[in-house]
Amino acid sequence: MKSYKLVLLASAAVLAIFFTLTFFGASSEKKLLIATTTSTVDSGLMDYIKPYFESKYGINLSWLSLGTGQALAVASRGDADLLLVHDREREEAFVLSGNGSLRVTVFYNDFVIVGPEKDPANVSSLNATACMERIAIAGESGSALFVSRGDGSGTHALEKRIWKALDMQGYENSEWYKAAGSGMSATLRLANELEAYTLADRATFIRLKDSMGEALKLKVVCEGDPMLLNPYSIVLLNSSRFPNIRYEQAVDFLLFITSTEGQRLVGDYTISGEHIFFPIYNMTESIGLPSEDAEVNFVEDLRASRK
Amino acid sequence: MAGIEIFLEGFSKAFELILANDPGIQAITALSLRVSLTATLLGSAFGIPLGFLIGSHGFRGKSMVIAVVNTLMGIPPVVVGLVVYLLLSTAGPLGFLRILYTPEAMILAQIFLTFPVVCGITISSVLGLDKRLKETLQSLSAPKLWEAVILLRECRIGLLTAVMAAFGAAISEVGAIMMVGGNILGYTRALTTAIMLYTNTGEFALAIALGIILMLLAFGVNLTLTVIQVKHGKRR
Repeated sequence: MKSYKLVLLASAAVLAIFFTLTFFGASSEKKLLIATTTSTVDSGLMDYIKPYFESKYGINLSWLSLGTGQALAVASRGDADLLLVHDREREEAFVLSGNGSLRVTVFYNDFVIVGPEKDPANVSSLNATACMERIAIAGESGSALFVSRGDGSGTHALEKRIWKALDMQGYENSEWYKAAGSGMSATLRLANELEAYTLADRATFIRLKDSMGEALKLKVVCEGDPMLLNPYSIVLLNSSRFPNIRYEQAVDFLLFITSTEGQRLVGDYTISGEHIFFPIYNMTESIGLPSEDAEVNFVEDLRASRK
Repeated sequence: MAGIEIFLEGFSKAFELILANDPGIQAITALSLRVSLTATLLGSAFGIPLGFLIGSHGFRGKSMVIAVVNTLMGIPPVVVGLVVYLLLSTAGPLGFLRILYTPEAMILAQIFLTFPVVCGITISSVLGLDKRLKETLQSLSAPKLWEAVILLRECRIGLLTAVMAAFGAAISEVGAIMMVGGNILGYTRALTTAIMLYTNTGEFALAIALGIILMLLAFGVNLTLTVIQVKHGKRR
């Protein structure tokens, strides 16, 4: 076998693959790829918004359903056009690092702590930190389990903030603490199987309750604590750092979701009659979050320039 | 609900969905077939010639090359997914193609899986050919190409096995296409990634329906293969 023949064959192979891919991959239609969280997708919100946005702008909307941490990682490589995530600390860090040019809160829902019907740790009617503390104590004595998302998501970040507020350490290696390493629905189902407590966003919990019915034997044991507020933000990527992203389409989506129509759509979405997300653009003070005048001005300037 | 009822309800709903020709299920099945068939075709187009060349020629390091190909036959799909992801990511060497999270990326990833399978099985069927056949052909001093065609025809069952095995591996893997396709509804959602998702979100009937379709496809492939092999066996 002459080696030049092999080389020739290999290069022909590479060329052919390359050709096939570019031939297939080249499509001129307008597209937008949002990196978002499992909760906005699993709750059905993205599916609900999609047709309204697409018919208004003629842009094909698709998304990746990831945890906030993964979504930020994907965006920091320029592999998505826009972020819709929920972890303020890391969103701000993302903008500060020069990867993003703007973060603005667009809607919110809240987290709930859910657990088995029997409530073995006896945590109902406590605030979030006291509830988690009691779960940990019950866990140590072997009467309760806690399932964590364990995937670097926004939900996981909140859980870690609660443990931090309690000054808890070493819980990750405890027998009663199970890190699922998966999305919200999968984590809830794991908690269901193990008869364990977990922290979940209300939207996904309601949606799963809706699809699983009586097979989901978890109930809300703690809710309404301000600490459990869950604001979602749009983060625009820095177009000078990522020249390949579809920045114009990303701005279109930002303007759409912050418009009166977009905000109303978010508020109108229900699962089995329950409202899931609440519009909050330009009203963040009303739920005790910092005001975002600068961000709102930025968005409104963009809107005016598009007119 | 008792455990067995979930199954029964799941299955009855699944058959309803399949019989109703649900457009969502159709799209998912069509994408799976498109990606895996294309990957199998392209993998075979390169794997069969290369496997033939390796198998029919003596050269230094031949055993080494064959060992490498055989190892690659068992490469974990997630590893392929990771490598292709890094290749296609905007920051990666092929980032300019902008094909991450597209069906094309899924095809590329699966070529890495189908190619070694086809190549490896082709090598072993060429090695298994009767040496006297080759000697006879050489004594006739036939043109090289004609010689190759005769030899390939002789091991056609092996080649068919190779192609079928590659397709079976492609249609049933989840790791690689999940990572480079992103499981986007109506665009890169295939049978296996959809089964994972719908199991996670508790939509078991849909998951079971897709599982049944996947099993039927795999069964169809194996049945065809078995029928051909049995027929061939009878002629011997």
